[in-house]
Amino acid sequence: MQDIIDIDHVSFAYAEAPERSLNDITLGIAPGEFLGIIGPSGAGKSTLCSALSGAIPHHYAGEFFGAVRVDGQDTCDVSLTDIARTVGSVLQDIDAQMVASVVEDEMLFGLENFGVPHDEIPGRVSWALETVGIADLVDREIATLSGGQKQKVAIAAILALQPRVLVLDEPTAALDPESSRAVFETLRRINQSEGITVVVVEQKVALLSEYCERVAVMHEGRVELVGTPAQVFSHTEELRRIGVDSPRTVRVSNSLAAAGLCPATPCLTVNEAARLIEGLVTARGADREVSESAGSTSAATTPSTASAASAAAAPAESGRCAPATSPRNAAGQDPIVTFDDVTFSYPGGGASVNNLTFSLYPGETLALIGQNGAGKTTATKLLNGLLKPSSGHVTVAGLDTRTARTSQIARHVATLFQDPDHQICKDTVLDEIAFGLELAGVSPAEARGRARVAAERFGLPLDEPPFSLSRGQRQMVALASVIVVEPEVIVLDEPTSGLDYRECMTVMETVSQMAQQGTAVLMVCHDMEVVSDFADRAMVMANGRIQGSGATLDVFTDPDLMRAACIAPPQVIELTERLARTVSPALHGVSEVADVARMVKELVQHG
Amino acid sequence: MVNVIDYIPGRTLLHRLNPVTKLALAASIIIATFLANTFALLIALLALTFCLGIYVHAAGRLASLLKLLVPLAIIMFVLQTVFVHEGPVLWGFITVGGMTAAAKMALRLLGIALPLVLMLMVTKITDLANACVEVLHVPYKYAFTFTTALRFVPVFSQEMNAITEAQTARGVEYDTSNPIKKLQLMLPLCIPLLISSVGKTDATALAAEQRGFYLRTRASSYKRYPFHAIDVAAFVLCVVLIVGGILL
Repeated sequence: MQDIIDIDHVSFAYAEAPERSLNDITLGIAPGEFLGIIGPSGAGKSTLCSALSGAIPHHYAGEFFGAVRVDGQDTCDVSLTDIARTVGSVLQDIDAQMVASVVEDEMLFGLENFGVPHDEIPGRVSWALETVGIADLVDREIATLSGGQKQKVAIAAILALQPRVLVLDEPTAALDPESSRAVFETLRRINQSEGITVVVVEQKVALLSEYCERVAVMHEGRVELVGTPAQVFSHTEELRRIGVDSPRTVRVSNSLAAAGLCPATPCLTVNEAARLIEGLVTARGADREVSESAGSTSAATTPSTASAASAAAAPAESGRCAPATSPRNAAGQDPIVTFDDVTFSYPGGGASVNNLTFSLYPGETLALIGQNGAGKTTATKLLNGLLKPSSGHVTVAGLDTRTARTSQIARHVATLFQDPDHQICKDTVLDEIAFGLELAGVSPAEARGRARVAAERFGLPLDEPPFSLSRGQRQMVALASVIVVEPEVIVLDEPTSGLDYRECMTVMETVSQMAQQGTAVLMVCHDMEVVSDFADRAMVMANGRIQGSGATLDVFTDPDLMRAACIAPPQVIELTERLARTVSPALHGVSEVADVARMVKELVQHG
Repeated sequence: MVNVIDYIPGRTLLHRLNPVTKLALAASIIIATFLANTFALLIALLALTFCLGIYVHAAGRLASLLKLLVPLAIIMFVLQTVFVHEGPVLWGFITVGGMTAAAKMALRLLGIALPLVLMLMVTKITDLANACVEVLHVPYKYAFTFTTALRFVPVFSQEMNAITEAQTARGVEYDTSNPIKKLQLMLPLCIPLLISSVGKTDATALAAEQRGFYLRTRASSYKRYPFHAIDVAAFVLCVVLIVGGILL
């Protein structure tokens, strides 16, 4: 069948940009396909989306080479509006995409413009809303919707136009895990029942590998790899070089394959990985029994004693693997932050919090997890003094936030916001990083000296205007200005959203170094893999209340708590919990890929 | 945060009027306020606005708007008394004529601001734009610009909020009591706000074009905005108001 979109040796450089954003890309997209695009930031993913939807060459100026053919027609020859009849696109910035203030009007806009007969319109609107699963929202004001609901409205508004291709640019960037999955479920439904081709840019590898038929990996304006998720994610090494994460289950199966235990087909889901390991352990167990009974020697290892032995080894193993709880407060240090029965509600409604009580110790990393709207961000704002509690007390470094001014608290607490653009206000990177120090009363000369060191640590250009840098680099500028003030507490609000894997690791490793030097860290994070890797303790929030807290691993292995928070535990923990039930209890509480691989190897080889 | 001009849902007579009629009604109250020369009529027009406000359950919203407008009206009043000198002197430089003129000016200020806001409260912005395009033959380009500008008000105020919060958290002293210092600190914030708004506006233009903005004609709107009997009645009221304003 003829490709619905045919990208033929396409290169593109934005006007005034020194380098090409797309570099000789050739890719065909078949009708009915579900294609995922991934790559580090600055790889050209959004630019490729623009080229598919005709925004390039019609909206963005620049040098365009090659040809994009949509349904056989060269996008250079037809108008943007005509391309839009075939390709519907959902932009990254949902607020900018909306044209109306009520959902129904938003739905009508495109239908009216494209001259859909008025007697067909009600049917199309209700069909689109039902397909996306938001028929109940039709009369709502868009401003009152949650991020996930807005995303669905945006999809429904495009879907109502019945495009043959749907192009989405990072639709889940600001969503919690459950809403992200719901968006992908919607896309799958549209793809399968309506036969609409879906092209989606996404950073969450676990979703890509589960939902996409084909994945394209972009790097420096090129398509480096393209194929089924299984094909693409078997190139773990190459992906790591590019700066793209692999699903944790793939890492497990690749480690096992590297040890020669199984063929090199990556496991894309927890289910696949669990079946693989269960198969390996039982098969090898059976093999060994056969060979042992044939040799009829060492009676020491019957299956029952073997499992008893491994069970005996379990406490030691999991004790070693599990991150020590609050490791650095053992010496009886005083907490740096205390919340004492804190309640706050916004006057106009919104994510309120009730009766929060917890402490944060120096050197400890505490993760706040829960759905969008659970009150996590409200809690962080109560900590850094942006909000004052309506009852209860928040004490930070000995200051009561209700009496201390926010600028005083800022000497002790540094916040890394989700969007670096909200905090950048100076003309050069150096001034920007030094700004926080100068506010804290450090002399300009010393501030610049320290800022220079911090900027060089992240390889940032000192004299460039921050807004000329890429999104990822701007986040590094923001990070540098946080660490340069050497705060006692760091607050991270979604530190990794919108960042690629490598940038995300830079942020988290920097923060964890700060924690080792005694800084207390409070982070709000939707990426459970990051939480599992970096947090000592996790606190689950739902509906403004703390549902439970404890060592990160204990929280993730508590199914009731996970359900209360509407959160799926990280893949590795889900996998080891299942294996602990089916294969060996020794695997309970193992959260690292390397440990899983090592233990499975031991199980297979020694029983 | 509740925006003063946010739509208040309802099925009252005022809600059911054609958006163009509502616009005409607000305009006639404003014109009558301009023309009116007696306290009685000025107060009657204000009272009419408030009665309508109570009728559509917007009294609370109007009252909170008054909190903003009354200080402004008082400033106007004081300035007028200082600068206008007519008739017998009451005390010092204050004259009877000056006082009367100032009081009327202050009432006019309220009488002009409130009807328009009230009209926006009972009309969906998209309805207003569509009706203006259909009935008044306003080019859709301008109607769209208007609706988008109104829609961006809360978006940008959220953005501004986020920026101020980020700066406060860094230790910029917005909580200072010195207003001049505060203004100095606020100015640099224009840069991030400007950058994000240019980006958003461009994205909106693209999104609108990708949904067939340029194909839209006067007949595109799915909803129709015909005039009914109550609209005719409202127009009669408009004429009465304006004539009353001229005569009284």
